Amino acid sequence: MASVTLQDITKQYEDVTAVDDMNLEIRDGEFITFVGPSGCGKSTTMETIAGLTLPTEGSISIGERDVTDLPPKDRGISMVFQNIALFPHMDVYENVSFGLRLRKYDQEEIDRRVDQAADIVQLEGMMDRMPKEMSGGQRQRVAIARAIVREPDVFLMDEPLANLDAELRVHMRTQLQRLHRELDTTIIYVTHDQAQAMTMSDRIVVINGGVLQQVAPPLECYNEPANRFVAGFIGSPAMNFLEGEVVDGGFESEYTNIDFDPGTHGVSPGQEITVGVRPEDVFLEEDSHKAASPTKAFDAVVDVLEPMGKEMNAYLLFDREVEASAEGRGKGQLLINLVPDTDIEEGDDIRIVMDRENIHLFDRASGDAITHSLE
Amino acid sequence: MSEKDQADLAAMEKTDEPDLDRGMVEAWAAKMISNPDRAYRATFYVATIFFLVTTLFPFYWLLMVALTPRNRLSSVGVLTPGGFNPGAFVEIFTTLPFHRYIFNSFLIAVVATVIVLFVASLAGYVFGRLRFRAKNVLLLSVLVTSFFPPAAFFVPLNRLFNRNIDILRPLMQDGSLYNTPYAIFIPLSALYLPLSIFILMTFYSQIPDGLEDAARVEGTTRLGALFRIIVPLSAPGVATAGVLTFITVYNEYFFSSLMTDGRPQSWAPMLEGILRFQGEFEVLFNLMAAASIVAVLPVAILVIVAQEKIVSGLTAGAVKE
Repeated sequence: MASVTLQDITKQYEDVTAVDDMNLEIRDGEFITFVGPSGCGKSTTMETIAGLTLPTEGSISIGERDVTDLPPKDRGISMVFQNIALFPHMDVYENVSFGLRLRKYDQEEIDRRVDQAADIVQLEGMMDRMPKEMSGGQRQRVAIARAIVREPDVFLMDEPLANLDAELRVHMRTQLQRLHRELDTTIIYVTHDQAQAMTMSDRIVVINGGVLQQVAPPLECYNEPANRFVAGFIGSPAMNFLEGEVVDGGFESEYTNIDFDPGTHGVSPGQEITVGVRPEDVFLEEDSHKAASPTKAFDAVVDVLEPMGKEMNAYLLFDREVEASAEGRGKGQLLINLVPDTDIEEGDDIRIVMDRENIHLFDRASGDAITHSLE
Repeated sequence: MSEKDQADLAAMEKTDEPDLDRGMVEAWAAKMISNPDRAYRATFYVATIFFLVTTLFPFYWLLMVALTPRNRLSSVGVLTPGGFNPGAFVEIFTTLPFHRYIFNSFLIAVVATVIVLFVASLAGYVFGRLRFRAKNVLLLSVLVTSFFPPAAFFVPLNRLFNRNIDILRPLMQDGSLYNTPYAIFIPLSALYLPLSIFILMTFYSQIPDGLEDAARVEGTTRLGALFRIIVPLSAPGVATAGVLTFITVYNEYFFSSLMTDGRPQSWAPMLEGILRFQGEFEVLFNLMAAASIVAVLPVAILVIVAQEKIVSGLTAGAVKE
């Protein structure tokens, strides 16, 4: 049980800055998730907390202790790795008790704690198996048992579910939440999967290019993203972005215009902005009552339909001249989320409205959010 | 297509062609091409026979010589001994303290192997797992040193070991390393270090980083992770390096004979002992042969034991990459 404080952490590899001046306060007992695309510095940040890499600048404290120069073993942390990293030449008991044996605990205490940890992750009766005789999920549970058996102050998890198959991943996700409730320890969790970040965390730390983007509870990141990157990264399917300019009566772009009063929303005419709207905040015109405050209707063409069972994704083009981009959602394309039995076909002309309450404006140059609602 | 071509094609399609007029060698070659397994088997037998003749037969003949009584040495046959005298295997220990010579060589080889494995493990870890400037230059210089002929080091080392060094006085009687095992295993360890560094470097570099990180988080230092995780998982490599070093040092003659005066109590090695069966007027070939056979035993035992210890594939499956 301890808080973790990062102060001005910078990590530089020869000519690459992996982490850039990061300041972060992680509260005692918190489940916090570092999330970002691969190569964004989230793992490096965790490694500096673990002590596996030393920061180029800055300091780290765990609880009241400054641990910047301590080796990993003296930091009161334990870690679960993406590649599981069980010692292949040791059986489950030896793996789990490795840290305790190194710290010269007496045998009774070791046995008691190993039993307890095995009980928590449901590994009873597997103590003399070798890692290679176990399934992926079992190995992962051994790795977790090895981490909890030392009763660390802080728990570090580096993409622990990345190598499991989809079904097991969802199962382990709830297991980890249960574990957090049981242990009540600070957990720092690294993932590139925003769904894991959303579902498990007390707070999310969104990182991109080594720079902290936003630190907030999951729903806040979702509803009030601090900038365009967070808006696009959190939420699935991702937010739609329309690039355009502020004019006297609102927003204008090649295909759309939205009426609003620039003054009250902190923009001025001539400013280049990006409008962000999530797929679930766009409706067909006949369903416009579902939007709290619908905009006027736009014309669109249905390009591709993706029925998902409980919902349906529809890729739209603003007019028939738009060419669908091969890389992600390009200009003039829009993704919306519909109920599965909506009666439309690919190629249909439709009219859509957006929910003004959930339209985000971002400054085009800086990417910073300007407002999260046009009401 | 001419008629001749068509006839050739027809001949090619036929698999066995008994009527074709071919020489013996040609027919044999054709058979081998159509049935490569036979060719492989033939090559295997040729190689095996070559190995038996060049390596195992001399050893067999050594045994024949050893079993021949001294006065009948001139009549030793190619396949049979010139008599039966197993007493030679006892005589070698009574005429000379040959066991002491073997013990000297064995001890020197064990100490050198331990030193080499320890130092090469540290070096192999650094070269195999860390990134630092001038790594390749350093590695290359280690390699180049191993190319020098051992004789190049002999003169300065011999001068050094024959000198009385005051700080060694509490350890050695006269403060000189000459006639001590130190004078043998120190230069030999250094000479055979590069090979082991290369072997271990290759093995250590293949252990996933995650395992070392896990060990360090769990409570070891880097050094602890090396000896608790990386070395055990590289067992085949460590065994290979160890066996190679042991055998080379055990069989080494140049340094071992020149750094001592040849007496068993001066830590003279096994080879020196074998040569001691050469008297002033007579060469006791049967005793030399018996001694050679006995001297091979420690190495043979070691190889058999190490082979059982070499368990590969330990890492397989435990780490998902």
